[in-house]
Amino acid sequence: MKESLLDIICCPIDKHDLELEVDEKDGDEIISGTLTCPECGETYPIEDGIPNLLPPDMRDEVTA
Amino acid sequence: MKGKEWYQADDVADEYDDKRFTGGGELIDLREKQAVLDALGPVEDKRILEVACGTGRFTVMLAERGADIIGLDISPAMMAKGRKKAQRAGVSGSVEFMRGDAARLPFPDDHFDAVFAMRFFHLADTPVTFLRELRRVSKEQVFFDTFTRPSTRVLYNWLLPMGSRLYSKRDVESLLADSGLSLAAATHDFMLPYGFYRELPGAVARPFRTVDTALGSTPLGDAVASVSYWNAKKE
Repeated sequence: MKESLLDIICCPIDKHDLELEVDEKDGDEIISGTLTCPECGETYPIEDGIPNLLPPDMRDEVTA
Repeated sequence: MKGKEWYQADDVADEYDDKRFTGGGELIDLREKQAVLDALGPVEDKRILEVACGTGRFTVMLAERGADIIGLDISPAMMAKGRKKAQRAGVSGSVEFMRGDAARLPFPDDHFDAVFAMRFFHLADTPVTFLRELRRVSKEQVFFDTFTRPSTRVLYNWLLPMGSRLYSKRDVESLLADSGLSLAAATHDFMLPYGFYRELPGAVARPFRTVDTALGSTPLGDAVASVSYWNAKKE
């Protein structure tokens, strides 16, 4: 994902803006990191450039 | 294997495009892309959300036409394909992929100019919940397809590894009403179900498609179509 996505996305649960912590970047692309909702404290990982904004109750339900 | 697990398996993602959209399946791919383009109109600089974007067939196509687009899906394996497709097409700058739940979208109200979902509602267990959420994040337009009953799809469904929900016209009308949407346009196609085309090489499938299309344009056509495209607007 690109940092500009932060202007659009919000916490899927309470729709609060998210805060970004970057672990790995490739040019403009954020490859891995964490999105945190300061309102409810929930965290959402970014893996292989794809943010995982599944609510926590769905996150572990299905894996390949 | 249930639909969700089946859909997210790595090997399913690996074969997804090849199995579905080559040979006779290419005719399906072309028709679906046309349906999306017809419904969304010129997409340049439009903000678009695609729910259940899978391998990004439509996501990348719309980005190539200038849309500012987000593809959301449950399967990271599918979207990894989508990311590669976007890179090859040179449109990574205007495409984002993300995992998310279509019933709890990570976007504010009224954000997108258009929201669409292809091949999604046949796997949706609570369609009204999903459609309301699609409506919430759209300023105006919501576009989706359904597999229709009664149609040849009823037979084809027996062969599928995952469940597949069929909708009558009345089902969709009540779904729209319950979601605060009104129907702007509907088109119906494919007297022969997708599975029929997929089994055939392109050269064999094409004449069938010609007959299918010809019959589809007769008054009988809409009544026997197995696929419907619904273009809805916020009330």
